[in-house]
Amino acid sequence: MNIHLYLNFNCKAMRIRDVNKVELVKEKAIELLVKVGFEGFTMGKLAKECDISVATLYIYYKDKDDLILQVGMEETERMGALMLEDFDPDAPFAIGLRQQWKNRANCMLENPLSVQMIEQLRTSTYQEKIFERLIETFKSTLGRFMHNAVQRGEIEAMPLETYWSVAFAPLYNLIRFHNEGRSLGGKPFVLTDEVLWGTFDLVLKALKK
Amino acid sequence: MELNMNDILLFKTDIRTEGDKRLIAKVMQEYKIANWTVDQDDIDCVLRIVSSQLKLNDVINLVVHNGYQCEELT
Repeated sequence: MNIHLYLNFNCKAMRIRDVNKVELVKEKAIELLVKVGFEGFTMGKLAKECDISVATLYIYYKDKDDLILQVGMEETERMGALMLEDFDPDAPFAIGLRQQWKNRANCMLENPLSVQMIEQLRTSTYQEKIFERLIETFKSTLGRFMHNAVQRGEIEAMPLETYWSVAFAPLYNLIRFHNEGRSLGGKPFVLTDEVLWGTFDLVLKALKK
Repeated sequence: MELNMNDILLFKTDIRTEGDKRLIAKVMQEYKIANWTVDQDDIDCVLRIVSSQLKLNDVINLVVHNGYQCEELT
């Protein structure tokens, strides 16, 4: 074989998409986005973090926007699926809400960087494209769950926003305290099962008829 | 994402402003190159073309001929 042909062939073979590499890029992209924000994020910095060439990144993604959108969408969908895992919108109210708390707590405590990135995306221009589909799924599943509970006379009828705020804001706040390691006035804080489920019982009491 | 990786051509350029991009867009249209993007957020203004027909040198000649820098991104 002609040596030039061989080299050309070899160099092209190296461009085959590598699943592990894509996962590494995703992981490092989330880390970097959280660390430096959208403005400070560059393809060059990401390539360096991943120890790959910038060209490799451009094989997978058209540009920085495309990369942030794709990574953001995939991660948001992954987290969304985790949050709805084993959740049955037709389950009795207390059981369904408990499952929701369990899923959300696990998902957010195990993926603190993703939580931060999703929070950044929520207040960015990427927001609409990334959350559009997910919001629909959540709205219909959680809407149905709430509607069922009202129909069965387990909770009072209320706007979905009121329901969501009472049902989840306390949990999100506990997780924020935990991830920051501090609560009010800088007091050290670690979220225990006792505090988590103690709070849950109060939320349940507030919502149940 | 299901692209043939060998069809992706990447270049460092200085297609930096919107005006630069408009000019290049005309050139691309003239040569019937449809699948192209320039990352203007990036320091290297990376030009990315998906084509199974074009060769690296075709693109480099075309872009340079129109007054911009263009070299393969490695």
